[in-house]
Amino acid sequence: MPQVTGKKRKGILGAATLVFIIAGLYWGLVKAPPDAYQGDSQRIMYLHIPSILTAYLSFFLVFLGSCLYLWKREKRDDSLAHAAAEIGVLFTALTIIEGSIWGRPTWGVWWTWDARLTLTAILLLIFIGYLMLRALVEDESRAASSAAILGIIGFLDIPLIHMSVYWWRTLHQPPSILRPDKVPWENIHPELLTALAINFVAFVLLYFYLLSHRLRLSEMREEIKSRRMN
Amino acid sequence: MKLLRQTLLLLRKDLLLELRRHESLMTMFFFGALLLFVFNFSFELTPARVSELAPGLLWLAFLFTGTLGLTQLFEGERGNHCLDALLMSPIDRGALFLAKTCFNIVLMGLVELVVMPLFWILFSLPSWQPLPALFLIVFLGNVGFCVLGTILAAVTLKARARELLLPLVLFPLMVPVILATIRCMEALLRFGELGDALPWLRLLIGFDVIFLTVGILIFDWVVDV
Amino acid sequence: MVMWGYVILAYGIVWGAILLYTLSLKRRCRAAENELQRLGARKES
Repeated sequence: MPQVTGKKRKGILGAATLVFIIAGLYWGLVKAPPDAYQGDSQRIMYLHIPSILTAYLSFFLVFLGSCLYLWKREKRDDSLAHAAAEIGVLFTALTIIEGSIWGRPTWGVWWTWDARLTLTAILLLIFIGYLMLRALVEDESRAASSAAILGIIGFLDIPLIHMSVYWWRTLHQPPSILRPDKVPWENIHPELLTALAINFVAFVLLYFYLLSHRLRLSEMREEIKSRRMN
Repeated sequence: MKLLRQTLLLLRKDLLLELRRHESLMTMFFFGALLLFVFNFSFELTPARVSELAPGLLWLAFLFTGTLGLTQLFEGERGNHCLDALLMSPIDRGALFLAKTCFNIVLMGLVELVVMPLFWILFSLPSWQPLPALFLIVFLGNVGFCVLGTILAAVTLKARARELLLPLVLFPLMVPVILATIRCMEALLRFGELGDALPWLRLLIGFDVIFLTVGILIFDWVVDV
Repeated sequence: MVMWGYVILAYGIVWGAILLYTLSLKRRCRAAENELQRLGARKES
C-alpha cells in the first residue's frame, strides 16, 4: 500500500494528530470540570478509555492481518499484524498503568482484580506471547504463519475471556466493589463528553500515525533484505 | 467418514507407541503425584480448607502435568523426518489434529483418574460422592486444554525455548476454561449440584466446541512447512 | 491537591512513553533509510 505510507499523507496525519493531542490535553486538563464523585482523578479517564479502545483496535488489526496473511501469503499483511501487535502492547501496557493510577485515589489500592484491569492484563499477556512467538521462531515465513495462527485464536478467545472474567467478578463480589466499575453515563456533563471525544480522536489518529511509520519501517527492512541478497 | 477413520488410525498409532514405551504417561503420573506432595508443604490444608482449595489445586496440578504432556506431543514424529512424511501423505490435516488432541485427552484423562482419588486419600476429603461428576467437569476442561494446547504445541514446534514459550502463550488463552471448571467444581463440592454454576458449564462446552472446530479448520496452515 | 499529583503522574507516564516510542520509531526509520541509501549507492557504483 504505497499510498498509505506516502510522505505527504503521513505529514498531514502527523499534523492532525498533534492538533488533537494538544486540544485533548487542553480540554481534559483545563476546560472540563472535575467530576462530582471522583474529583480531578476523573481526568485520567480521558486517557484510559481511548487507550483501551485503541488496544482492542490493535488486536482486531492483528486478527485482520493474520487472516489475510494465511489466505494470501502477502508479506504486507504479516507486517500489519506485527506492527499492530507492537503498538498494541504499548497502548495495552499504558492502559493498565492508567487504570492502576486512577484506582489509587478512587479505591485506595494500586491494583485490584476487577474485571477491567484483569481483562487488560490478560490482553497484555496475549500480546506479549504473540511477540515472543515471533521472536523465537527461527524461520521467517514459519514465524509469520505461526504468529498468524496465534493471532486468530487469540482474537476468537477474547469474547470468551471477557465473558468469563466479567461473570467471575459479578457473581462473586459484593456490590460495594462493583460500583467503582460503573461509570455514571446518565448525568454526564457535556464538557466531560467533549473532552473524552477529543482525546479519543487524538488517540486513534496517533495510533494510525504510529502504525503508518511502523509499516514503512517494515517495508524498508524488506527492501534492505532483498537488496542485500542481489 | 474419512476424517474419522484417519483420526482413529493415527490415534491408534500414538496409543500403541505410548503403550510400548510409557514415556509420557509415566512422567505425567509421577509429576502429578509429586505436585500433590508439594501442595501439602506449601499450603495449610486442614480438612476445613481443603474442600475450598481442592478445585484450584487440582487444576494447578493438571495444568502443569498437561503442559508436560503437550511438549512431548510431537516427540514421536521428530526423528527420521516422520512429521514431513505425515504431512506429505494424503491424510487430512484435520485428522492429524484430532488424533493428537484425542491422544493428549486420553493421557490427561488417565492421569486425572489416578490423581483425583489420590488427592481425596491424601487430604482426607469427607465425601467421595461428588467424584464422578467432578471427573466429568475436569474432563471437559481437559478437552479445552488439549484442543488449544495441541494447536499451540504444533505452532511452537520449531521455536527456541519451546518448553517456556508454550505455557506462555497457552495459559492466558486458557482463562475461560480455568474459571469455568473451577466454578463448576466448587458448586459440586459445596452444594452437590451445579445450580447457579450452569452458565459456566455452558461456557465450557461452548469453548470446547468452538476451538475443536477452529482446530480442525485451521490445522492445514499450522504445520505448513 | 493530592488528586492532581496522580493526574500528572498518569499523563506524564503516558505521553512520555508515547514520545519515547515515537522517537525510537523515527530513529529506526532513519537508520533503515540510511542503509537503503548506502545499498542503493553501492549498487550503482
